[in-house]
Amino acid sequence: MRLYVLRRLIQIVPTVLMVTFVVFLMMQSIPGDPVVALLGDAYTEEDAERMREAYGLDRPAVVQYLIWLGKLVRGDWGASILTGRPVLQDVLVRLPVTLELIVLSMAVALLIAVPAGIIGALRRNTWADYAATSAAMVGVSIPEFFVGVLLLLAFSIGLQGLLPSSGWIYLPGTCPNMVCGVSFWGNLQHVLMPAIALGIGRAAILTRLLRASMLEVIRTEYVTTARAKGLGERSIVLKHAFKNALIPTVTVMGLQVGFLIGGAIVVETLFAMPGLGTFGIDAIIARDYQQVQGFALVTALAFVVINLLVDLTYTLLDPRIRYA
Amino acid sequence: MTRRSFPTALIALTASLLLVSSAALAQTPKRGGTLRVSYGNEIAHLDFHTAPGYEMMWVAMNVGCGLVNITPDGKFVGDVAESWQASPDHLTYTFKLRPNALFHDGTRVDAAAVKFSIDRLMDPATKSGMRSFYEPVHSVEVLGPLTVQVRLKQPYAFFLHMLAAYRTGLVLYSPTATQKFSLEERKQGKPGAVVGCGPFRLVEWVKGGHLVMERFDKYFVPGLPYLDRVVIRTIKDPVTEMAAFKAGEIDFIASFSPEHVDTLTAQSPAAVVMTGKETTPMLAAMKVTVPKDGKPMSKERAPHPIFGDLRVRKAVGCYGIDRAEIVKIAFKGKATPWVGMNPPGTLDTVDVNAMCPYDPARAKAMLAEAGYGPARPLTFEVMADTEKSVFNVIATVIKEQMARLGVTANIRLVDKVSWMNSTLQDGPWDMYVEDLLSLITLDSNAYLSNSTSTWSHPRHNDKRVDELYARYAREMDPEKRKAIARELQEFMVENMYWNNISGSPFYMVAQPWMKGYTYNAEFEVHYDRVWLDR
Repeated sequence: MRLYVLRRLIQIVPTVLMVTFVVFLMMQSIPGDPVVALLGDAYTEEDAERMREAYGLDRPAVVQYLIWLGKLVRGDWGASILTGRPVLQDVLVRLPVTLELIVLSMAVALLIAVPAGIIGALRRNTWADYAATSAAMVGVSIPEFFVGVLLLLAFSIGLQGLLPSSGWIYLPGTCPNMVCGVSFWGNLQHVLMPAIALGIGRAAILTRLLRASMLEVIRTEYVTTARAKGLGERSIVLKHAFKNALIPTVTVMGLQVGFLIGGAIVVETLFAMPGLGTFGIDAIIARDYQQVQGFALVTALAFVVINLLVDLTYTLLDPRIRYA
Repeated sequence: MTRRSFPTALIALTASLLLVSSAALAQTPKRGGTLRVSYGNEIAHLDFHTAPGYEMMWVAMNVGCGLVNITPDGKFVGDVAESWQASPDHLTYTFKLRPNALFHDGTRVDAAAVKFSIDRLMDPATKSGMRSFYEPVHSVEVLGPLTVQVRLKQPYAFFLHMLAAYRTGLVLYSPTATQKFSLEERKQGKPGAVVGCGPFRLVEWVKGGHLVMERFDKYFVPGLPYLDRVVIRTIKDPVTEMAAFKAGEIDFIASFSPEHVDTLTAQSPAAVVMTGKETTPMLAAMKVTVPKDGKPMSKERAPHPIFGDLRVRKAVGCYGIDRAEIVKIAFKGKATPWVGMNPPGTLDTVDVNAMCPYDPARAKAMLAEAGYGPARPLTFEVMADTEKSVFNVIATVIKEQMARLGVTANIRLVDKVSWMNSTLQDGPWDMYVEDLLSLITLDSNAYLSNSTSTWSHPRHNDKRVDELYARYAREMDPEKRKAIARELQEFMVENMYWNNISGSPFYMVAQPWMKGYTYNAEFEVHYDRVWLDR
């Protein structure tokens, strides 16, 4: 097991390198130049050339990437071309906001998907099943921004500002700035709508998957045996069937993290949250290569680490699974 | 007066006195409170002398102070300058500074600080977007601790306009803090690095989060500012901005999307919507020349393959575009169709709409004259960037109007940086839809439309334009200046170097409890007299 984990950890390195390299090349190939944004009204061709030279932007893309990598190895994530701020500092300030959003949206997804999936499978072809699968269909079909706007209209405008429309309040003890709103309740109020907007789509996918897995599992022989032994239905469903049906669901949950990070860009922009999503999109729009690299790096790391954790979870769900 | 009517009159008098005094009391500014402001775009960075974008400027105007400000009716009022005097030959301006003005680091705002800031702006190494505006300045002399003189190379009619409101206007920097901190630290808004002399001092800027300014207690105007604090947040989505406004989470939207104004007022009937004269041009620019040798920005120019021909420019831009229809669709009628280079709210603007009436038959005839028709249909590309949805709407209407002429206009939707790259770097484009900077004077448009500026995207090389701009800027007689202004604007339309569609409306929205704000479009956004009535 330890060897397996070590091997997987080592595999993270080429994966992350590959992702950051591809992102770097893609950024270089799209039209646009950070120097234009940097010089703004003062743009002249001569100054632009000098700036490109100063920032090493006139060098071949591979050389630029290697320079970035060399700095990264020394713990230097580079600095924003536009503001000069260290990228790592910005990432660390924004990461907790996005992490909280992702964790809570996954919690929202599970809160909806687990009961809906189980009920759909156990009450197959009844109104409850139809309701759950139809709701799942709707959830998959509606994009995050649309759910977000509907939530805004309902809870920020319709219900006399029951929930705040935008911004962020930090959890006590987590304020990374000089000036922060800090409160547990305020934090919950601010994260609730974004988490629901982001979680609903995932809930729909997980509901459909869990329902299918449950249907498969409850038809297996060991479930029939459990019933024949006279075990209670609750015990059969939760202890035997659900646990086994969870394995494909957990796999998809891991893969969904990537989509959640993508969705966070939209949701954070809509709700004006100071998270990594808005950081990433602003960096791409400004062609701030260093910030984009930082965003790609942290996203790739999050994705592979979470998927490693998912793989390790299998052993908890099914003791027969062993990693060598 | 009878004995009975006397007490009645006394009561009435007392009641009316009470009413008057309570009304006066209600209008007495209250001190304290936090003004919560929403910006639609992120602040680029905080070096006021080099950062682009209105969002930075609206911070600079409150953290910084300058020599003069301009009122909405065009009068100049002293900021840190107590008085000023122009020499009879208009070659020198002497400013007397207030004796009590301090920078936020406690150092004095004196003549040396003014010289330091202007010299810094004029230094090519600073790379300030303001530098080109200081071209007429010869030098700055310190005549005494509180007396500073600016010498000009030639008379410049708009020197005070420039100091007050071209981009940020002149923002004075503390020499001590500027020398102590690096440019990078200032850009990042590091505490202590961005030191101005305005009513608010910068406390913190968290990119993507918020910007916080607090009252500067030693501000040179006694009793101001009223507010304790200003907190600025970026909310990019207008729907979210409306929700935040309705929920009372923000007090002031510094720039609101024109398409959503009706919805906002329907949702929040008490909202105070502020707008005024149109000062930003909305244009459908056409490229006039391309580099002869294929090298971008080359001085050797050749006519653009399509719009290098004046007949095509006039057919498409002058007679082929129905400006009234564009305004009706894109702005719901809330803008003025305007052919002239400078929108109706700009100083010395001229209505030249009659020069370009919508006339599809004439447009078709001119295209035929230029060799375009069914046998050789004209096709060009309209570039619209995604910064504002209205650009794409206008491009779509133009496409439809071109189809009526038998012309194919293909829309290319790009992001802002790509648009800037194509236009600034002399890239391949035919036409683009964009609103450029807000123009307080015709002179301020030289920077966007003369033959030498990088920002003159069509890249016409007509020196007559430069000559007219120069004459206009040097002419000190307002009547003669008006005549030159007309000549220049007519010349631009005759040659279609600047294809204007309309003015671009600008909206600000405030909660009913926000008082004391003076609307002056994008030019002057000051919170020093703002107070909260709640």
